[in-house]
Amino acid sequence: MNETHPNIDQIVDHLHGELPAADEAAMHAHLAGCPKCQERRNEEAAITQTLRAHALATQLELPPALVARIRMEIAEAVQPSWRQRLRLFFRPIVLLPVAAAAALVIYLRFSPGHSAVTPTPIDAAYYVNEHAALAAKAPFADNVPPATLTLDDEAR
Amino acid sequence: MEQQVFLERAIEQYGKATYNFAYRLTGNEADASDLTQEAFIRVFRAWRSFKPGTSFRSWIYRIVTNLYRDELRRRKGRYHEEIPDDHGSQPGAARPLAVEPIEEYIEGHLSEPVSKALADLTAEQRQIVLLADIEGCTYHEIGDIVGCAVGTVRSRLHRARERLRGLVTRYMKSSS
Repeated sequence: MNETHPNIDQIVDHLHGELPAADEAAMHAHLAGCPKCQERRNEEAAITQTLRAHALATQLELPPALVARIRMEIAEAVQPSWRQRLRLFFRPIVLLPVAAAAALVIYLRFSPGHSAVTPTPIDAAYYVNEHAALAAKAPFADNVPPATLTLDDEAR
Repeated sequence: MEQQVFLERAIEQYGKATYNFAYRLTGNEADASDLTQEAFIRVFRAWRSFKPGTSFRSWIYRIVTNLYRDELRRRKGRYHEEIPDDHGSQPGAARPLAVEPIEEYIEGHLSEPVSKALADLTAEQRQIVLLADIEGCTYHEIGDIVGCAVGTVRSRLHRARERLRGLVTRYMKSSS
């Protein structure tokens, strides 16, 4: 710091509490004995005080309409992301019925009583012909399937 | 919802201060409303990036400052204009957007010379003076808000105060 008089920038820093501790002490000591520097300091302080007083006098309230607008903008702008949507889907209230329905489908699909396997179609004509052929060759053989009565046989 | 609670608290505690800061920067209520609204939407979106234990005021003022700077650039404002001399504005010279509304507003005020001088500062100078003298921020906080080193804050404030001083003297002479 200037040994004779502090410069105006140092006075500004002093007013804003931004001087290093040693310089601050030197400033105080100097101001105490220098009316000219005290006057400069007071002039600078008056500018700051006037600025603050002006700011205080012209302070505005936060308009409630602005707060409402902020809330509305946020509600509109923030759409749920795919993660949030996924999380919403996997909520227990949604997931439990879905899981129960899936379990029911699986049960019905694979349980023996409710097999959904399509039966192999039987070629009836082939079966009848084969039976007739075997019966003609060896009517009393063990491997010949037992003859079944037909309506015609019964009539006879 | 935690994010919603964070926003509501932010509005409750800093809504008014933010709105007034934006108003002093822009000089009119419409622009201040837009800036404040956008700032709080960003607070909501970036709420996780706020570090607990740090200054929320610095954080939101920085958001407002950046938005204001972007807006001035978008409107081809003169945020980085040369610092004019203290002999008054040159006719036809481009001036910061906020100057006219502030000049109209402070008409007839008791602290007219200081208010007029503040309005005559460049946007950058006014911002530094607002933060240092009205908001009472430290140089470190101002550096955080404006995005520059403490030394730069110091020199900018010194230049702004020097210009403010010159303008106040001139307005006081002209009014007496």
